[in-house]
This record gives sequence, C-alpha cells and structure tokens, in this order.
Amino acid sequence: MTTTAPAVNPPFAADYDAPIPYIQRTRDYYQVLGFNPYRWAHFADVPFTPLGTPLGEARVALITTAAPFQPGVGDQGPGAAYNAAAKFYQVYSLSTETIPDLRISHVGYDRLHTTAADINTYLPLAQLKTAAAAGRIGSLGPRLHGLPTNRSHRVTMETDVPELLRRCHEDGVGAAVLVPS
Amino acid sequence: MCHQTVSLAARHLEANGISTVIVGCAKDIVEFCGVPRFLFSDFPLGNSAGRPFDVESQRQTLELALQVLERAPGGRTTVQSPLRWSEDASWKRDYLDLTKLSPDKIAERKKEFDEVKSIARAKREAS
Repeated sequence: MTTTAPAVNPPFAADYDAPIPYIQRTRDYYQVLGFNPYRWAHFADVPFTPLGTPLGEARVALITTAAPFQPGVGDQGPGAAYNAAAKFYQVYSLSTETIPDLRISHVGYDRLHTTAADINTYLPLAQLKTAAAAGRIGSLGPRLHGLPTNRSHRVTMETDVPELLRRCHEDGVGAAVLVPS
Repeated sequence: MCHQTVSLAARHLEANGISTVIVGCAKDIVEFCGVPRFLFSDFPLGNSAGRPFDVESQRQTLELALQVLERAPGGRTTVQSPLRWSEDASWKRDYLDLTKLSPDKIAERKKEFDEVKSIARAKREAS
C-alpha cells in the first residue's frame, strides 16, 4: 500500500510583494514636495470592441510613448537622468520596416532597477515582426505611432488621441498593441 | 503618465472600432482609468515588453498580450504575466520611497522638479 505525503502549504509572500500602488505613491510624494495632488483619469464605463477578424488575418498597429532620439538635447542613453528636453508634444509615425532609434529618457521609468539599455523592453517591434512572419498576426501596420505623454488629460483626449485614431484608420488596422514606457 | 496616456488612447480606439491591448507595468493606473484589455507584467517601469536582453521573456510577453487581445470576454480584462522580475521582491519598496528622503533631499527634489517643469514648458510651447 502506498501513502501520499501531506501537501505542504507554501509560505505567504511578503506583504510588499504586490503590484506597486503608483497612484498612492505619487500622491504622497508630491504632497511632501508641496504640490497639489494630480487627478488621475478615471471612468466608470469601458468601451469594448471584439476582434473583428481572426488575429491571423488582422492588421495590428504598434503604439508607443517612447521618443525619437534627438541629437543635441542631452543624454538619452541607458540610465540617463530624467531628460525633459527629450520630450515630444505631437503624435509621430515611423516606418515599421526597420527598428527606429527610440528612447525613454523623457519619462519616469524605474531608474533604480533598470536602465532602458534594451529597446525591446519598451518597444516590442522585433517580436511583432516575428509574429507577423509566423502568421500569428495577419500583418503589422506599415507605421508605428508615437503618442506624447502629457499631464493634461484634455490635450491627450482632444488633440493627440483623435490624431492617433486618424493615423490608425489611414493604415487600415483592426487592432492595436499599446506599450507605455 | 505613460500608462494613463495609452489607457486614454486604448479607450478612444476601442470606441471607434479598433480592438486594443495594453502591455504595461503600472496596474493601478491602467485599471483606475478603465481599459478594454491589459496584460500586466509586475516589472519595474520601463520593461512593459519583457526583461532586458531576455528574448524569451519578450516573446512570452507579446504572446500573452496577443492571447488577451483574442480572448478577453469583455472590458476591464486584466491578465497578469507569470514572469517575475526577480525572486527577491524588495525592489517594489523603492519607487518614490519617502522614508529615504531627508528634508535636504526633499528641497533638492522640489528644485529639480521645478526645473524640469520649466524645461518641459519651454519645449511644449516651442512645438
């Protein structure tokens, strides 16, 4: 007769081993610095459009908040300090034929624990091209689109996002992968 | 801010007939906004698409995102990637950790913030 060893319950994870509460941390941080709290976008309703075609037939757009490298505006390389001069304020589009030189020194990524040394951590263009070549997606849109990160919800919603939609329609995409930096 | 921006974009595209998936690392910001589909990686900001120089983690991350795009049953679908940044999760305590800020450091950060805002404003007005 065989016996089975009693299952051993794994120990609980540490309390802090949970998704970082960024909204609370930034609120607390800027309050200590003496600034008014930022009001984050919040909606009760969420739109939903089921994929209209099988993914293997869909044209997919890549949308990024990374910035094109700008010569002469300071360090934008791996581990560079926050560089506001490298920001951009208008939607841009670039061919997906090749991998463009996009950087993320203009945003608040976690500089203590990562360095943005590998573009593939914030721009999955190479992986999307592989997925298209393998037939996992129908095709990749002809252009990727860059979206400015603006503290103003109004500018994002009334100016940038309608322009992004217009460009997506021009490209004839039915789906989009959006990647924040 | 990047996570909020793409969340607003996903909502607008979706409302106009384009299916979307966000691939990101800031769970609360994206979910608070409210988006159709979200693949969450519990990684430091800057690694939405996978670990640095780890092609397999980048492949897995995109593949999971594509599955979410295909199969989400409705809006506010979040799937968390099973990948871990590291066994030790203590990195999560460091982001904007106020316990490490002395009064001098706070004054320095405030000055830096004002300078950055002024550079950004000049850039925005010039564009």
